[in-house]
Amino acid sequence: MMLSAITRELDFAAARRWTWRILVALFAVCASLGIGRAQENRASDTAVIRVAERMYCPVCENIPLDECQTTACLEWKDEIAAQLAAGRNPQEVINSFVARFGDHVVGVPQDPLIRALTFALPLLATLLALGIGLRGFRRFAGSKQLSLDAETTVDADLSDASYRQRLEQDLRALR
Amino acid sequence: MLAEIGLSALAIAFALAVYAAAVSALGGRKQLARWQLSGRNAALLTFPALVLAAAVLVIALMTEQYQLSYVYSVTDPQTPALYRFTALWGSQRGSLLFWSLLMSLFTFTAIALNWRAERRLMPYAIATMMATLAFFLGLSLFLENPFERWWLLPGAAPGAQEVSSALIPPLAVAPSEAALRAGAQGLNPLLRHFGMVIHPPMLYLGFVGFTIPFAFALAALAAGELSSGWIQATRRWSLIAWIFLSLGLILGGRWAYDVLGWGGYWGWDPVENAAFLPWLVGTAFIHSAMIQEKRGMLKLWNMLLVIAAFSAVMFGTFATRSGVIESVHSFARSEVGFPMLAFWAVITLIALALLLWRWGRGELRDERQFANLLSRESLFVLNNVVFIALFIAIFWGSFGLPIISELVFDREVTIGAETFEFFVVPLFIAMYVLMGVAPLSAWGATSLPRLGAALRPPLLLTALSVLALALSGTVLLVATAGYGAVLFAAYVALCEIYRGVKARRRLEESWPRALLALVRRNQRRYGGYIVHLGVTVIGIGIIGSTIFQTEVQHTLERGGSVAVRDYRLRYDDFIRARAVDGRMMNISVVTLSRDGREIARMRPRIDDYEQMPMTIAGAHSTLENDFYVLLIGGDRERAAFRIYINPLVNLVWWGGLLLIVGTVIAVYPKVSRQRKRETAG
Repeated sequence: MMLSAITRELDFAAARRWTWRILVALFAVCASLGIGRAQENRASDTAVIRVAERMYCPVCENIPLDECQTTACLEWKDEIAAQLAAGRNPQEVINSFVARFGDHVVGVPQDPLIRALTFALPLLATLLALGIGLRGFRRFAGSKQLSLDAETTVDADLSDASYRQRLEQDLRALR
Repeated sequence: MLAEIGLSALAIAFALAVYAAAVSALGGRKQLARWQLSGRNAALLTFPALVLAAAVLVIALMTEQYQLSYVYSVTDPQTPALYRFTALWGSQRGSLLFWSLLMSLFTFTAIALNWRAERRLMPYAIATMMATLAFFLGLSLFLENPFERWWLLPGAAPGAQEVSSALIPPLAVAPSEAALRAGAQGLNPLLRHFGMVIHPPMLYLGFVGFTIPFAFALAALAAGELSSGWIQATRRWSLIAWIFLSLGLILGGRWAYDVLGWGGYWGWDPVENAAFLPWLVGTAFIHSAMIQEKRGMLKLWNMLLVIAAFSAVMFGTFATRSGVIESVHSFARSEVGFPMLAFWAVITLIALALLLWRWGRGELRDERQFANLLSRESLFVLNNVVFIALFIAIFWGSFGLPIISELVFDREVTIGAETFEFFVVPLFIAMYVLMGVAPLSAWGATSLPRLGAALRPPLLLTALSVLALALSGTVLLVATAGYGAVLFAAYVALCEIYRGVKARRRLEESWPRALLALVRRNQRRYGGYIVHLGVTVIGIGIIGSTIFQTEVQHTLERGGSVAVRDYRLRYDDFIRARAVDGRMMNISVVTLSRDGREIARMRPRIDDYEQMPMTIAGAHSTLENDFYVLLIGGDRERAAFRIYINPLVNLVWWGGLLLIVGTVIAVYPKVSRQRKRETAG
């Protein structure tokens, strides 16, 4: 009888645990479905905007063409519409503006050398930083003094470690 | 009379700052307590002097003293009282004075809080803070004086141009009050928004705030006090600066969203980026400072980060104020550019020289070494690599490449969102992944099985979420990867909070009480998790509103309508009206329906100021999305509209709020403990 009571108690605990797990999983699914419902794949019937948002105002520095309301920009947008209507594709339209006004009318430089510089330096810097970091790790990991010894873990921040330890003990006790 | 009082207060503050910088540095070097105290007192006195100077300018703005050329240039008789007050930081000259006021406030507070606890460092820290203040006050006094007045030179023909001068030119007379009043220019229309009331002060507080950690770091280098003690004071101040900078960036985004009329909140504009750069370095420092506090490691690296954060602040200030970069956010071209560049270069070089000197003497050697690739400190270092890579990419695109291209290739280039996104998207995904993994690993060493076990629940929840997203139609790779990384970081923070609350529940506490007690018990840790949650909520908002934004443009006849996704927008009416401040408002009236039911009536409009039109959006906001509509132009019979549907955009603002709440929780107890310690001392 006592055994069945314990079993019932255990079953109840397990059921409660599983109920919570299922609820949490449902929350994750519902939240994600909510995110999914809020968005739809991009749809636009304005081809001019699609081109203009890749270009920049020739008068006001750093203002995208599609946002700018200056006369020059309105005329450019008309010209984009005319070129698109004449059968040019967006890249051809952009190329024609770059040829006439220079690289500063687009957000990605079209000149091959400047374009290469744009992308190469940050990539190289990141790879270099990662390389230096990994080399450092390998050097330290190789040294005898730096093996996983008691010293490295014991004197880690006491308040932090002891707090985590207490939490884990509590959690173990709950299982 | 007002101008004389303001000018005198400014001059006195300048003299005090120069004196305090010199005497504190010498007092620190020669260990002379009297000099140190004298320097401290002079530094404290700069604050009341600058309060007086700023108060005088505010009084002049509020009481319409148009003889002051600053008041003339930023207000007019129609300017409402609130914007008269905020005009204090509405233009270059006033904002430089405001910057100095905040700098002296921070110095005052730092002295009050740290004088006893950091006695050895304080003279050098005060010298650094006062040198910076003296520089900005020098700019105010000699180049951009807010107390300059209009004068008519003797013999000038009627209608001749007045000259602006702080001192009275010989025999000059003041122009007529009525003429000045009639010609007053008013505040830039872009700044007449509630966001502008709060955004600049927050940003300045963030910028100025990073001077304090820098001052402590420089003091530690100068005094040779390079144990990890200085980092505690520094980290606390960094967090305070970080809160303000974060708030400034979020409010700036909100202002851009409401006022600039392009349906977004971040345009990768160079000046926006200039404010983001110190935030990136500051965030890296806040994380790596923990490693020095707990493990005595990364001493050299932390010094570099503090110097880089301050350097980024100075560079950002230079970029915004020199006119070197054209932007909607920047001030007009002025003479402060070269002095600012020189100050930035000199102070950065001094800091680096001191750093190299101490490093050469072996005084910045780490107390421990990295032992394990999966330890928390190793993952924090990786996190630092990501932040610095972001810094390099954004700096290069915003400033490095455009300047080099013009100087070397004689070609002007514009680096736009497309280019920035190429770099930042993978780096931010890496940042979110690290934000998830790092809190689960231990200091010193973590084994792979142990880390794997800790990662299992959040990974499982992430997998479920990604599956659900895919089922709901989100199949774009970049969106799936982005959501996956962001949700993983969010689930880790939630799981950690849940584990703690669950453990506390054993004490028979209710869920809310257990949560409260848990946060109180370790505010730094759980404040940090709340910050992480805020950043993940922002991340979801950014992914949704950037990748899945819908943007269309339509011209509608009156009474006509257009369907956009499951909404329908009807053009009802057009009204022209003049506002009390003189602008002409072209207001369109539109009705928004969803599933056949009217849900909102909006009034997108164009405000016509004399020199500049401003597009004010109409928006219907829900947690799901913003229906955001701009009037492009038109009349009563027909009007053109630009329509955006920005999914999840409001999460950006809510996440920002969560981030601020978390940071305040993380900072608060340390401040009170410090006070207690000082009171006891």
